[in-house]
Amino acid sequence: MNECILVVDDDPEIVGAIAITLEREGYQVRRAYNGLEALDHALDPAVRLILIDVMMPKLDGLSALIRIREKRNLPIIVLSAKSEDTDKVLGLSMGADDYVTKPYNPQELTARVRSQLRRYTSLGDIHAEGRGRLIVNGRLTYDPDSLTLRADGDPVRLTPTETRIVDLLMRNPGRIFPAEELYRRVWNEDAYACENTVMVHIRRIREKIELNPKEPDYIKVVWGIGYKMEQHG
Amino acid sequence: MDTKWNSMDDKPEALEQAVGGMVQDAVKTGNTAIRGGGHPKRAQQTKAAAGFLAFFLGLSLVLSSLGAMAGRLAWERGAGEWWKDDWQETEAFRAETAAYLREFLTLAAGGRLDWYDTEVVREAVSGTAASLYAEVAYVDTPVRYEPEADKPGNEDFYYRSDKNVLYRVSCYGVLKYSNLDSGQQLGSYDDLPEGYNFFLAFRPEQGGTVSIWKDGAEVDVYGGGILTGESDWFVPGYENFPAGEDVRGVTICMAVRETPVLYYQRDYADGGYTQGSRMYYVCQSLQEGRGFYFRQAALLGLGLLLLAVWFILRREKRLADQKIASWTIHVWTELRFLAVVLPLAALLTARGWNVFRDIWWSFSYSYVEIEELAYWLPELVRSLAAGLENTGALLCLVWAVWLIHNDHRYNPREKRRNLWRFISVRLPKYPFQKRMNRLNLAAAVLVCVLPVTGVLSAISMGLSPLHWLFWLMAAVPGIAAAALLLILRKHAALARDVGRLSGQVESIRNGDLTTPLDLPEDADLRQTAESLNDIQAGMHKALEEQTRSERMKVELISNVSHDLKTPLTSILSYAELLRQEPLEGAAADYARIIDEKAQRLKAMVQDVFEVSKAAADQLPVQLERLDLAKLLRQTLADMDGPIQASRLTFKLDLPEDPVMIVADGKRLYRVFQNLIQNALQYALEGSRVYLSLKTGAGRAEASLRNTSRSELPEGVDFTARFVRGDESRTGGGSGLGLSIASSFTEACGGEFRVETVADLFTAVVTFPLAGE
Repeated sequence: MNECILVVDDDPEIVGAIAITLEREGYQVRRAYNGLEALDHALDPAVRLILIDVMMPKLDGLSALIRIREKRNLPIIVLSAKSEDTDKVLGLSMGADDYVTKPYNPQELTARVRSQLRRYTSLGDIHAEGRGRLIVNGRLTYDPDSLTLRADGDPVRLTPTETRIVDLLMRNPGRIFPAEELYRRVWNEDAYACENTVMVHIRRIREKIELNPKEPDYIKVVWGIGYKMEQHG
Repeated sequence: MDTKWNSMDDKPEALEQAVGGMVQDAVKTGNTAIRGGGHPKRAQQTKAAAGFLAFFLGLSLVLSSLGAMAGRLAWERGAGEWWKDDWQETEAFRAETAAYLREFLTLAAGGRLDWYDTEVVREAVSGTAASLYAEVAYVDTPVRYEPEADKPGNEDFYYRSDKNVLYRVSCYGVLKYSNLDSGQQLGSYDDLPEGYNFFLAFRPEQGGTVSIWKDGAEVDVYGGGILTGESDWFVPGYENFPAGEDVRGVTICMAVRETPVLYYQRDYADGGYTQGSRMYYVCQSLQEGRGFYFRQAALLGLGLLLLAVWFILRREKRLADQKIASWTIHVWTELRFLAVVLPLAALLTARGWNVFRDIWWSFSYSYVEIEELAYWLPELVRSLAAGLENTGALLCLVWAVWLIHNDHRYNPREKRRNLWRFISVRLPKYPFQKRMNRLNLAAAVLVCVLPVTGVLSAISMGLSPLHWLFWLMAAVPGIAAAALLLILRKHAALARDVGRLSGQVESIRNGDLTTPLDLPEDADLRQTAESLNDIQAGMHKALEEQTRSERMKVELISNVSHDLKTPLTSILSYAELLRQEPLEGAAADYARIIDEKAQRLKAMVQDVFEVSKAAADQLPVQLERLDLAKLLRQTLADMDGPIQASRLTFKLDLPEDPVMIVADGKRLYRVFQNLIQNALQYALEGSRVYLSLKTGAGRAEASLRNTSRSELPEGVDFTARFVRGDESRTGGGSGLGLSIASSFTEACGGEFRVETVADLFTAVVTFPLAGE
């Protein structure tokens, strides 16, 4: 591995903590403390992923992000104390691949870093295998023929029921399924008091595919309506 | 009941007085209820109805009998003599007798009786006080025209068959007319036929005077010898009213029957008719009048009796009055006005119309004299009194007034209705200024009509411009109109200012806080307009300050939140790293504690941030239609793990059918998540938690009940920030759970409340149901 990751934050302690965590996972870490420094390092082709804070002196994270995007195609994860939905949407629309809020969970952060790197490296494989068959949604790749689901390229082991749920959801990203419909179509039985059953299975699937099952990115509850597979780019 | 009221004795005096009336009533009704037994309420209602009925009938009878009597007394001349036993003692009889004499004199003197013309009479007595005589001697006896009466020697045709009056008329000894039967004498009182008790003689030997005998005694005809308005007998022979030359040789003897009877004339086949019999009708009308007054007196007595009944039941009657007032409240004021005016007009004009007309006419001819009023005023009063005879109108008037009075007593002024308001609220709303201008214009037109009507009525009265009254009638309304027009002009200016003022109030309400109102320097409302401008400026300033402070507050919150998160991130990161180091003994524990507390701090910082945003109304919400029942099931399923792990039992009462509301699903999930977490944390171990969702009256109400583990303090607002039931801060939770639930619910447009009864804790979330 030994991929090089650029960590940018105006707080040196935070940079230090992230560096230690990532280095323990076997990554090389480069450090920068403002946007301008980040630009200098980002042009080095050895850097394979950037973790960048938003509020920084000299040049803020989002502006730096735009400039880097002009030059290079590499995964960029924004790390910010701004935790509102609007902030996340703004960061993602500026070209960030992921958005992690402070205070972050170290395990989740490393999982996201790994995921991004895997996606960027395995992208070629998917092309090679013939993408027509495959349903790709962010980190997830589903093969409807073999009924196999891969997350970041790794196959996910699902039970038959879970596979049927994933099949339905992956084929209809963005569509909201009420619990009753999910139950009828997956279990082929009349739906009665099925909310708990459905939720139990969805929680298990989340534990297998989500980076942070408590704040899922893919299978989401639409409160008061049903469940859906979130569409990712 | 007694003990209850007695216990009030030690209360302050004012209170006692205030409730005094109520208490008395209550005690009284209570007593009557006990006495009445059975159905106290029904008994009370019966009494009220009886009281009112007695009042209504009693007053109606008293008023109608008094009115009828007063009216008859005022109108009928000589009606006041109804109590006299002898009809021949009445003025009516004397007048009728004098008329007979006058007519016989006319016939005897060779004049002709034309029943429609007084001139004949004047001719017959020419040389006497002709004008006076002619004016009074108006012969209007309604007689059927008979050609018989035109034949010479047959002029007394109309008198002949009526034997109530026997007569013999001769001139210079020659008998001209008589209706005596053969053998009957009419020379003196002594040879009157049986049944006749009144004798009148006019003989040449008496020197042109009249002598009268009645019941065997001679009557003093002339009194002082001078004819005045007070004289009993209006016959010639007074010093100032001697008989004329034409009747010098005339002898007239006439007798009147003691009890007149009705004579029928003509043949039976024709049905017969009662021509003549004038004396019979004089007698008859006296008797009829007597019967009338007796009847009215009896009704009056009955009425007074009923009023006595009312007086006994007057308190109970109040109930009926109130009931009636509750009906009359619906009657428009205009109708009430009509209900008074119409009967009043009927009363005034029933008899008075002629008098008004006469007054008008007498003034329309130029001989207007103030002295005339001395004659017309009593006449007017008399005619108005005579109007009382119209008892129907009188009763209508009295009851209309009573109903209005009763209505005003029990119904507040603002509840009354009128036609004008009824119409005006249905008319399109014009701006204030326009409405006032229209009113002013209408008033101006009316005012201009004033002098015109004055002039027109002066002309209609036949006054010439040379007469002073003409100018009075034209000038007074003219001056008044000019003054009123000036006032109206001022009024129009005021209306314009008030219109602008109310327009300004309206625009301030609509949010215009920058345009001040500029009224002219001399406007009456200048001061008010300036005050309004000050208020407007004050509001503008306050609003700006408020907006600024809101913005600053939100900025502060988000800055503080960010500033807290940065060091917290480091703490958490290094605590985690520390835990990964090989630590010995207590140090591992310390690292774990630091990590746990830092995690809690992280949760609190996030919660504080959200609550503060919600409190500043800055919480973004995405409203959508959702099924609240489903949301509750999803939330329960989502939290199934912790719920199963707890020793609590959740009892659910959720409808199968969708309960659609409009809310932000994510926020609402947080609401119920917090409520359930609250229950998990604070509910008594092993107890039951009840979660129910009910709909009704267009609302959905979700409630969560649980029994608290620790005693719930009283008078605590659980939705306030950092308030917890146990008051200690050692347990988990940020203390913001209920506060978040409350503020998120309200941000979504719902209502949140917490009720505590002893140890029972209830949180209620209410939302309006969404339409289809």
